[in-house]
Amino acid sequence: MESLNALFSLGFATALTPANLLWALLGCTLGTAIGVLPGVGPAVTVALLLPVTQSVDPTGALIMLAGVYYGAMFGGSTTSILLNTPGEAGSIVSALEGNKMAKAGRAGPALSTAAIGSFVAGSIATVLLTLLAPVIAGFALQLGPVETFALMMLTFAAVSAVLGNSPLKGFIALLLGLSMGLIGIESQSGQSRFTFGLMPLIDGIDIVVVAMGLFAIGETLYTATYENKIAGRIESLKGSFWMSKDDWKRSWKPWLRGTAIGFPFGTLPAGGTEMPTFLSYSAERKLANPETQKQFGKGAIEGVAGPEAANNAAVTGTLVPLLTLGIPTSATAAIMLSAFQQYNIVPGPLLFDTNPELVWGLIASLYIGNVMLLVLNLPLVGLWVQFLKVPRPLLYGGIVVLATMGAYALRQSWFDLMLLYIIGVLGFMMRRFDFPVVPLVVGLIVGPMAEKHFRRAMSIHQGDLTVFLTHPISLAILIVTAAILIVPPLMKRRQKMLQAA
Amino acid sequence: MIKRVSGEQWLAFGIILLGLFMAWQLQDIPNDAGYAGIGPRFFPSLVVTGLIVAGGALLMQRRHSNGPDTILSDGENDAAEVEAEDEFARGDADWRMFAIASGSLIAHMALIGLVGFTLAGTLLCFGICRALDTRRPTLDLVLSFVLALGLFHLFKTLGLNLPALIPGGVL
Repeated sequence: MESLNALFSLGFATALTPANLLWALLGCTLGTAIGVLPGVGPAVTVALLLPVTQSVDPTGALIMLAGVYYGAMFGGSTTSILLNTPGEAGSIVSALEGNKMAKAGRAGPALSTAAIGSFVAGSIATVLLTLLAPVIAGFALQLGPVETFALMMLTFAAVSAVLGNSPLKGFIALLLGLSMGLIGIESQSGQSRFTFGLMPLIDGIDIVVVAMGLFAIGETLYTATYENKIAGRIESLKGSFWMSKDDWKRSWKPWLRGTAIGFPFGTLPAGGTEMPTFLSYSAERKLANPETQKQFGKGAIEGVAGPEAANNAAVTGTLVPLLTLGIPTSATAAIMLSAFQQYNIVPGPLLFDTNPELVWGLIASLYIGNVMLLVLNLPLVGLWVQFLKVPRPLLYGGIVVLATMGAYALRQSWFDLMLLYIIGVLGFMMRRFDFPVVPLVVGLIVGPMAEKHFRRAMSIHQGDLTVFLTHPISLAILIVTAAILIVPPLMKRRQKMLQAA
Repeated sequence: MIKRVSGEQWLAFGIILLGLFMAWQLQDIPNDAGYAGIGPRFFPSLVVTGLIVAGGALLMQRRHSNGPDTILSDGENDAAEVEAEDEFARGDADWRMFAIASGSLIAHMALIGLVGFTLAGTLLCFGICRALDTRRPTLDLVLSFVLALGLFHLFKTLGLNLPALIPGGVL
């Protein structure tokens, strides 16, 4: 129970200082406020607020960003329930049943079960994180560059082949991310690559510019071009806000099941919240008694409770590989990683030894943040609903101004604004042709790390490429990687053949 | 029958071109700095190869209604169906709005150093409102200005250095 000891003696001691409590509160509030805005997911929320944290000490800044991350998830469910425009993949499912409930005048219970479910799942998942993280970090200490490189290959394969509907498009997005990651000075040899003689490119392309370009500018261009005529309709909050006894009875099991599904998925390199939420939804649908089963598609509370819990548990789960291995498995985690890098802190197994106050303070702040968010989202939900009433043109205008400001503030140069626009057009095209963006963001961040580990592995083993296959752990990881790539297409082919026969 | 080149195929061309362009740029990276046969050119070469191959695969891929990975028997063609479905879900592209949004962003880029954050930001916010088909332009112009001015002062107090029209001024 060393981890519990560390959590209480170091973690809460750090997180409960007035300054850090304030950062957590600020993060949760801003996260909810921005996350509520339609079309703005957690990734862009964290990216938008990243420049704000530059003048804060690392622990405070990361506590605030974690609050933003969590808050944006909470806020996102409000939007998907009331407006039926999910801001990110994880709340697509809650929009299914939640919006139907709101249409039927049961917006209150839908929002409540989402908020309480998120709280329950977030808290349980944080306990699991507390217990698991040091164990995994201890294990990760034994991983050399060979194994780490293999793990990164697994991450690449998982984010591009598993997420989204076309593995090929996923790979193209990944390759685009890797290409962007190549730009700049290569750390081991000091050679500049793909800078085209342009000075500003020597430092590489900043993740903030990429995230804002893809998510904020790309989204705005897309909405302007394709979605001007589609009008959203906000469901009003009428009727009882609180959950009835029956609602509680129907919700608590889905919360727990959702947590059980979400957390393991979050910890896998194929992280992300899309799969666990869909799994939780179909599980609830299958497990429901015939009476409730009929309600699915018309507003079943189980269909909100389960996926919302799964969503939050998965988000907490993604912190496990991020903190213990230093590998981000979702777009938001990748941006969080760059926040660490901003302070020259390298997440990974050593973090628990070198910066224990920071890690445990961060984990402790998750417990506190969960409570704050429950308070912010249950009684104050009416306030956030006001944010939904901001007219869409003004909303996007504001987001774009914030995005350009974030990009410009990096170096006070119009060059970053141009990059922002170019990446925005890329984001527009990716959206238009259904390319997933997560592989791009993960490729951009993990690509340079993978190259470093690969070259380190090669220099230790005198350029012998077979080391990846002769080290047992690396071999096992690569076999899993190959399975992820090969099995799904084979299954599809088989199914097709069976259908044809 | 001559098939129309779809947008996706143009994109595939673009990806291949990008790969070829990067391959050409590879020559500028000296490779002698590496050891154990792995220099700074090794990884980029892999990425470039990947881009060209994946772009080629995308170009070859036929568009199917059952998702991109379904296998069609010979002669089966559901491209038209997909096209129709696609357009239904997305609505018509309004390129004028795209141009207004792009123009606002480019104007902002050019103006920020000249007229300062507040005015350039106002223009940008207002331009985006126009691109999103606003119903009340005058009010939006006022609110854009208030927003930009507010952000300018908020971030000035937070220590973020943004360009002003007159150094040290309120705008």
